[in-house]
Amino acid sequence: MKILIADDSKVMRQIVTRTLRQAGYDGHDIVEAVDGKDAFEKVVAEAPDLVLSDWNMPNMTGIELLDALRGAGNAVRFGFVTSEGSPEMRGRAEASGALFLIAKPFTPEAFRDALDAVLV
Amino acid sequence: MVVKFVPHEKAIRDALSGLLFRDVEIAQGEPVVHSATELATTAVYVDDRTATAAVVIADLPMSAYAGAAIGLIPKGGAEAAIEDRELSPSVKENFDEVLNVLASLFNAEGEPHVRLYQTFGLKELPPNDLIAISRTLGRRSDLKVTVAGYGAGRLSVVLA
Repeated sequence: MKILIADDSKVMRQIVTRTLRQAGYDGHDIVEAVDGKDAFEKVVAEAPDLVLSDWNMPNMTGIELLDALRGAGNAVRFGFVTSEGSPEMRGRAEASGALFLIAKPFTPEAFRDALDAVLV
Repeated sequence: MVVKFVPHEKAIRDALSGLLFRDVEIAQGEPVVHSATELATTAVYVDDRTATAAVVIADLPMSAYAGAAIGLIPKGGAEAAIEDRELSPSVKENFDEVLNVLASLFNAEGEPHVRLYQTFGLKELPPNDLIAISRTLGRRSDLKVTVAGYGAGRLSVVLA
């Protein structure tokens, strides 16, 4: 499976990759994007199976990325990994078509709980 | 709307150990005051009106150990930074990300939305109003933080 990780922090992209591995999702093809704009282009070019995106990023935020993808008719599975875990943001993420929102700081268990439900 | 509660020590420990992927011990410590003589990292957190909600100050060892640990940079890298009294760009960037994620400590149910607004590195003295907040006596937590495999530093969390 191909997983795209969008986060403007390099260390956070590494941590998400590491946590995926610790949660048992090993051996997947990982693509990294540095912001929402980069992620949009890479989703179109690389057709990942899943997008794990930060919320606050320069150029294009995570929610703008999700809305742009859905607006372009792209139905890629999409979840947020973000320090913005307020109920309002969860509601907004869900309304735009996100499958889950994992709040930072997270644990491998949080990844398993979110991903086991959507990766079949 | 102001942040009403200083984050609980257990919440701080859990956040740090989750982020750094290693055990973190927390004990009462001495306040950290960022000054020309005491090098530290100061993080400013704001609410949705961009009013200062909280300040977190980390001394040099805390900045170096946590910034190295989160990026899997060996302990020697952190010790060199402490000796040189300067963080490498990657350790600084990493520690800024630790401070970014710590914003979640303030974002409890019923509390205002708080986000990291700015950080001041070791040799960038914050403006006086922030220094004044960092010296406030109440509504604060001063901690000694031990990062397993690295070492101990000090962290102060102060509500505005």
